[in-house]
Amino acid sequence: MNKTKSANQPSPSPPCLRASVVKNGFQWTKHSRSFRRFRSSFTLLVCVTILGCQKDPQAAIDSYPSKTVTVVCPWSAGGGTDRCSRFWAERLQTKFENPFVVMNRTGGSGAIGHSAVARAKADGYTMGMVTVELSMMKQMGISDLTFRDYECLMQINADSAAVVVRKDAPWKNLQELFDEIKSSKEKLKMSGTASGGIWDLARVGMLDAAGLDIHSVTWVPSKGSAPALVQLMGEHIDAVVVSVPEAMPQIEAGELRLLAVMDDQRHPDFPDIPTLKEEGCDWSAVGWRGLALPKGTPPEIVAKILVQCEEIAASEEFKEFMGKNGFAVVIRGPEEFTKFLEEQESLWTPVIDLAGYAQK
Amino acid sequence: MFAELLQPSVLIPWFLAMLLGIFVGATPGLTATMAVALIVPISFHMSPMAGLAMIIGVSFTAIFAGDIPATWLRIPGTPASAAATLDGFQMAKKGKGNFALGLDLICSSIGGIIGVATLIFVAPQLARFALKFGSYEYFWLGVLGLSMSAMVTMGQTSKALLAATLGVFISTVGQDVVSNSQRYTFGSIEALGGLHFIPVMIGLFGVAEVLRNIGQSEALGEPTGEADSSSLISVLPEVLRHKWCVVRSALVGTVIGALPGAGADVAAWGSYGIAKSSSKTPEEFGTGTIEGVIAPTSANNAAVAGAWIPALVFGIPGDAVTAIVLGVMLVHGIKPGPMLFEDGGDQVRSIFAIALVTQFMLVPCGWAGVKAFGLIQKLPKRTVLAGVLVFSTVGAFAINNSMFDVYVMLAFGLIGFFMEACGVPVVPMILGLILGPLVERELRAGLIASSGSFEPFFMRPISMALVFLLFLAFFAKPMWKLISRRLFTK
Repeated sequence: MNKTKSANQPSPSPPCLRASVVKNGFQWTKHSRSFRRFRSSFTLLVCVTILGCQKDPQAAIDSYPSKTVTVVCPWSAGGGTDRCSRFWAERLQTKFENPFVVMNRTGGSGAIGHSAVARAKADGYTMGMVTVELSMMKQMGISDLTFRDYECLMQINADSAAVVVRKDAPWKNLQELFDEIKSSKEKLKMSGTASGGIWDLARVGMLDAAGLDIHSVTWVPSKGSAPALVQLMGEHIDAVVVSVPEAMPQIEAGELRLLAVMDDQRHPDFPDIPTLKEEGCDWSAVGWRGLALPKGTPPEIVAKILVQCEEIAASEEFKEFMGKNGFAVVIRGPEEFTKFLEEQESLWTPVIDLAGYAQK
Repeated sequence: MFAELLQPSVLIPWFLAMLLGIFVGATPGLTATMAVALIVPISFHMSPMAGLAMIIGVSFTAIFAGDIPATWLRIPGTPASAAATLDGFQMAKKGKGNFALGLDLICSSIGGIIGVATLIFVAPQLARFALKFGSYEYFWLGVLGLSMSAMVTMGQTSKALLAATLGVFISTVGQDVVSNSQRYTFGSIEALGGLHFIPVMIGLFGVAEVLRNIGQSEALGEPTGEADSSSLISVLPEVLRHKWCVVRSALVGTVIGALPGAGADVAAWGSYGIAKSSSKTPEEFGTGTIEGVIAPTSANNAAVAGAWIPALVFGIPGDAVTAIVLGVMLVHGIKPGPMLFEDGGDQVRSIFAIALVTQFMLVPCGWAGVKAFGLIQKLPKRTVLAGVLVFSTVGAFAINNSMFDVYVMLAFGLIGFFMEACGVPVVPMILGLILGPLVERELRAGLIASSGSFEPFFMRPISMALVFLLFLAFFAKPMWKLISRRLFTK
């Protein structure tokens, strides 16, 4: 009776125990009666142990982490989010003395990776690096996920969007660019992402806040920020909206320059560049990254991970890593992060409506 | 500086990384990008020099190693090796597999040297030129590439065009960049990302090849192939005889690689097409010609070097590997930019030195890989085919850690099997799949930028030149024939 029970129950027990049950099960049919009796009593013992474990989820919590933890990165290997994921996986691995492995699940504007986290078993063995796209994918009809499908653990980064032009562009500041947009007969061309991508929406929000028609510039869709910057440098388009670290190499090479950053404060690396608010345009857009677990992960496990994450976030190594990559450090704990995500949702929803990408 | 490179602390990880590159490149589905992403965290614990040497070593060897399974088994290890399934495989079928791979290896190395030399001497100028390519130019480049499918499979043009069209159609699955709408996803989240190129390729070549062989059950117990005793030295006279083909392919490869919108795969096909259309015996292409082996392999290694040009000059990654490398360089405090070439000093020179020495190290490493892989030929076919299926499945899964890709691979295995059974070539389908998104996206983005006018597609200087090339590719030969016939009859 106990034996059949154990076979039917998917148990969260350690894999070694489960393996031995299967092994015993196989040998059961093959051996003589006396040997069988010995085996069956042994099996019984194993089953009792397993059932004991099952009745006590506390054991699973206490032993966490006892196997490999997967950190899902919704973007491809080598990109900024991937680098952050690998840094955190490596640090968590050292802290917990347990393997943490990055798994890239890309595609569908991040929807595939985000849903891989939300749909995973909520046992603490899958976590993910969620990104700003989570704040808009539902409204865009790409996925039905929102931040409510996650245990939001900690925000680790927020990079301001910026308006970038060529070094020899005729506009000295944002106001001059806006004047040109208003007066120019031929529409100016801008790019940064695909249509409906985050920087397209940031552009829509900026033009709307400046009181301009959102169709007063042409958005030339591109596969991402890197090809858009190429198009800008090749004089095929006039301005680009991307995050500051994305354009950093070209800015440092002296090929491109910033007109304004879309944030509440000035960027620490570019203290001379004004914010949109200073230019009289009430709009800010940031690309953020954060750690999240599937909804329903036991709070004790969440707390365990959070303690370590807080230590890592406070460490010098983390600051050094972010500094070298040009990523801005913005740390928000679980409550603050969730509140921030609510604000993000109410920030982007009207812009998505205005741009005409809203689904139902 | 060379003394510093030849220290054991640099040389040993460098050599190990190149062996890893051979393994990764020869295994369909494992890509150079994955290998580099694995190496990057390790490289932070080493000197910048050792880290860069490992990364550069992996990226060049993986591109060559992709030709090994393409030649022996007709399964390209990387997308850039798909062209080697034509002449390389045919040559191996005739019992000259080691000869084909020796040729391939030497030309890879020479192609790489030419690419790196171009990088050293004219990178800033070439990068400025590459920037002139806008949507209009990329569109024509894509069309030129697609028309290669007609050229690659001369004689059965209508079937080739059918396959190419199917390839373009398959490439439309997923989320559209231009309109942001979902196409042919049927509500599946996995299909949002599109049908990934690599599982499709593994299916069309690897799985289809297994299915084809299973049909001949009496041959399954026999050894997979006969390995010839050709050595590296025996191929040198052939390389010398075709030196212009090597140089031309390498230069074409470097230029295409330097374009941020095109990579080693496009470069390999482009130079194959050029070699074929300028050959005296184009009808022999695809039956195991030497030029057909040389052209794509010289070009794809040169394209890897070419991708470094916009990366070093402007900090613009030409492909996924250089994108990762740029991140590493920034961490090590190397700032890309035009100034890097003028007063970059040691850092740039060491990158150049590493890239050059890698080309020479490629020869022994690559030959070891060829020999190791050649041992497989002695195994019975059924064992090898089972292994192919296992590695194909693992490779398809590894691309995005997704079972969806494994199903895609199996489905395209069946599709590839039936296509070949009907005499429809699969190679144009691959071209359609690679170039379809480029052509479609750039056409639509170009039209958006020009407010619907077709004028810039024809009136800009580079566009015009590309249209002229396209015209030449199709009409030069028939027109020349017409004229010469007139002259002869008179």
